[in-house]
Amino acid sequence: MNSKELINYMKSTFGEPMVEVVDLKKYFPVKGVFRTIGYVRAVDGVSFIVPKGKTLGLVGESGCGKTTTGRLILRLIEPTSGHVYFDGKDIFKLKGKKLLEFRRKAQMVFQDPYMSLDPRMTVFDIIMEPIRAHKIKVEDPQKFVVNLLYEVGLNETHLYRYPHEFSGGQRQRIAVARVLALEPEFIVLDEPTSALDVSVQAQILNMLKDLQAKRGLTYLFISHDLGVVRYMSDYIAVMYLGKIVEMGPAEEVFEKPLHPYTKMLFASMPVPDPFEAKKKPKVEVIGEPPSPINPPPGCRFHPRCQYAMDICRKKEPPLVMAEKGHFVACWLYAKK
Amino acid sequence: MATKEAEEVYEKKVLDRVSDAFVDALANLFDKIRPGWKVRNQARVDEWKLMFYAFNRSPIGIAGAVLVAIFIIIAIIGPWIAPFSYGTSLALCNQTAYLAHPGTVVKIPKGCEALGVKPGTYRLILGGDSFGRDLFSRILYGARTSFVVMILVLLVGPWIGVALGLISGYYGGAVDETIMRITDMFLVFPGLILAIAFSAVLPSRISIFLKDHPWVGSFFLHLFALHPTERGALASLVSVIIALWIVWWPGYARLVRGMVLSEKENTYVEAARALGVSTTSILFRHILPNILGPILVYLSLDSGGVILTEAGLSFLGVGAVPPIADWGRIIYDGSQYFPSAWWLVFFPGLAILLTVLGFNLLGDTLRDILDPRTRRSIEFRLKKKPKTKEEGEEK
Repeated sequence: MNSKELINYMKSTFGEPMVEVVDLKKYFPVKGVFRTIGYVRAVDGVSFIVPKGKTLGLVGESGCGKTTTGRLILRLIEPTSGHVYFDGKDIFKLKGKKLLEFRRKAQMVFQDPYMSLDPRMTVFDIIMEPIRAHKIKVEDPQKFVVNLLYEVGLNETHLYRYPHEFSGGQRQRIAVARVLALEPEFIVLDEPTSALDVSVQAQILNMLKDLQAKRGLTYLFISHDLGVVRYMSDYIAVMYLGKIVEMGPAEEVFEKPLHPYTKMLFASMPVPDPFEAKKKPKVEVIGEPPSPINPPPGCRFHPRCQYAMDICRKKEPPLVMAEKGHFVACWLYAKK
Repeated sequence: MATKEAEEVYEKKVLDRVSDAFVDALANLFDKIRPGWKVRNQARVDEWKLMFYAFNRSPIGIAGAVLVAIFIIIAIIGPWIAPFSYGTSLALCNQTAYLAHPGTVVKIPKGCEALGVKPGTYRLILGGDSFGRDLFSRILYGARTSFVVMILVLLVGPWIGVALGLISGYYGGAVDETIMRITDMFLVFPGLILAIAFSAVLPSRISIFLKDHPWVGSFFLHLFALHPTERGALASLVSVIIALWIVWWPGYARLVRGMVLSEKENTYVEAARALGVSTTSILFRHILPNILGPILVYLSLDSGGVILTEAGLSFLGVGAVPPIADWGRIIYDGSQYFPSAWWLVFFPGLAILLTVLGFNLLGDTLRDILDPRTRRSIEFRLKKKPKTKEEGEEK
C-alpha cells in the first residue's frame, strides 16, 4: 500500500482531513570536522491525516520524532522531503502573504511555558503580539485581550503583569490565549501539560477540551503521557524511531493494541487500581530505543520485539490496514 | 499593588526617595506623552525603582556615578565657566604666565583686549603652559572634547557591532561565517594601532568633505565649543571619531552574536515565528531587549575606554591638533617640560584617571544590578528584616 492509498483509506475511515501529511521526512545532519558524517533520521517517512474538528494524539518515547513532526506541520523547520497539505494546500510551497495566512490558521502551544513567553513583555503585549504581527484591526485592544483572558480562566488584573509573576499553569493559559487571539482552526499542542503538576494538568486539559468544543478546533496532541492522550484524543498515532507503527481510533488502539511496541508501551502505563493491575497481561519492556543515526535494518523495532521473525530483520514492514480504520506496520499483520 | 509591596518590604534611605522621585517623574512624563503608559507599565516602573534601590546600596557604584556626573556636568558647562578660552596665550601680555606654577597670580595690564581678556589680576589655579595658557580652562574645555568624542563614538560604533551580531547569530550558516571572518580581520589588529592608521589617513578626505559641507563643520564647532577660526582643526577630531567607529564594533559583534546564539534557543523565539512575527520584529522586539543588559554594561565600561583611547591617540599625535584643548594633547605638550612643570602632566592625567575610573566603577555596579543572578542576592540583602522600624510613610 503506498502512501497515497494509505491517505485515501484514512480519509474514508477517519473523516475529512484538516491536515494531510504525506511521506514526511526530516534528517538532521551530524557534522564532523570537515563534512557531514551522518544523519539523525528524526522523522523518516510518516503519512497520516488529522481529521477536521477532532484530536489526533501522537505518542511515543522521547526522541522518536513527535515534536519534530509537529514543528514540520507548522513549517517551523523545512523538511528533507515530503508534503504537508493544510486545507488542501501544500504548506511548503507557501510564500509571503499566503504563508502568513497559514500561520494565522495553524498555531502551536509549546511544552515549556517558562520558556515560551518573552520574559520582558507584559501579558497584554504577549497576547497582542500576533495581532500586531498580522496587522489585524482591533477596536478596543484592552477589551479584546481581557475577553481572551476570561476565556482561558484569567482576568483583567493579570493584564499588565510579567510572565515571571505567574505559575506554570497560568503561563500555559496565557500561551493558549495568545494562540486564540488569531482565531486559528488548527492547533498543535506539543506536550502542553508535561511541565505542569498533575492537578494543574487536568485543569488545562479540560480548558483545551472546552475550547475545542466551543470553537470547533482541530488538535494535534503530542505527548508521551498515555493517560493524557487517551483522555484527549479521538484518534491515536504511535511513533517509534521516526516512523508511525500504529494508528487508529483512540479507544480501539487502547483496548486492542496490535503492534508489539504499542503493547509494550501500554504495558508500561501504570494502572491506578491494584486489582485491575493484576489482571493486566505482563509484557516485559526490553532494551532501549536504538540510535536514530543508524536505525536497525528491516523493522526498527525487531531488536526489542519478542515476536521478531526473519523477515523483520530484512524488510521494513509497511503501514497496512489490519482492521477497519486500524493501521499497523508489522509483519504479523502484513502480507509478506 | 506591587508598588505598595515595594514600599513595605524595603527599608528606604534618603537616596531611595530621591531615586523614587526621579523614576516617578520619568513615569509621569511618559504618561503625559502617551496616556495610559503608567497603568500599562507599573511593573516596569517598580522594577526601575528596585534597580535604583540596589544601586543605592553600592558605595562603589555611587562613587562612580558621582565621578561620571561631575565629568558630564563639566563637559557641558565647562566652556562657559572657564575663566579663559582654550587658546588664550596670557604670556603675550605677561611673561609670568609662561609655565606658571599652580596658584600663580597673573596681572593682565590694559591693552590686551585683543586677546579677549579684561585687565585685572587672575589666579591660575592649575598653572599655565608653555604658551602661557591657563591649564584649568584647558582641562575644562578638554572635558568637552572627550565627552563629545565619547558620545559620538558610542552612539554609532557599538551599534554597528550589535546589528551585525544580531544578524550573524540569528541567521547562522554562511551569513554568520562571512560576518565573523570579517570581524576576525578587524580583531587581528590591536585596536589602537588600527585607530592610529585610520586617524592618520582620514583627515585629508574629511577636511575636503567639511569644506564642501560647511554646515557639518558648524555643527561640530558648536559641539566641541571651538572658535570659528579653528574650522581647519576639526578634521582631526572627526577622523578620530570615525576611526574609533571602525575599531569599536568588532567586540560588540562577537559579544552580541554569542548572546543571540543562546537566546534564540528559547522557545519564545520559535513561538514568535509560529505566530507569524517577522524576523526584524523578533530580532528587535524579542532578542535585543533580552540581551540589552550586558550591552549596557559594556557601553558604560567602554565609555572610559573610548576616552582613554582618544587621549592616547592625541598623545601619540594623531588625534586633536593644537590649539584644541584635549587631555591627551595637553599631556603630550607638557611632557617636554616634565618634571619641572609637573602640573602640565599631572592635572590632565588626574582628570583622565578620575573619569575612566568613574565609568569603570559605574559599569561594574551596573553589571551586578543588571545581571539577574547577582541582582536577586542584592535585593535579598536589602529586604527589611521583620519588625524593624515603622513602615516608610506614604509620599
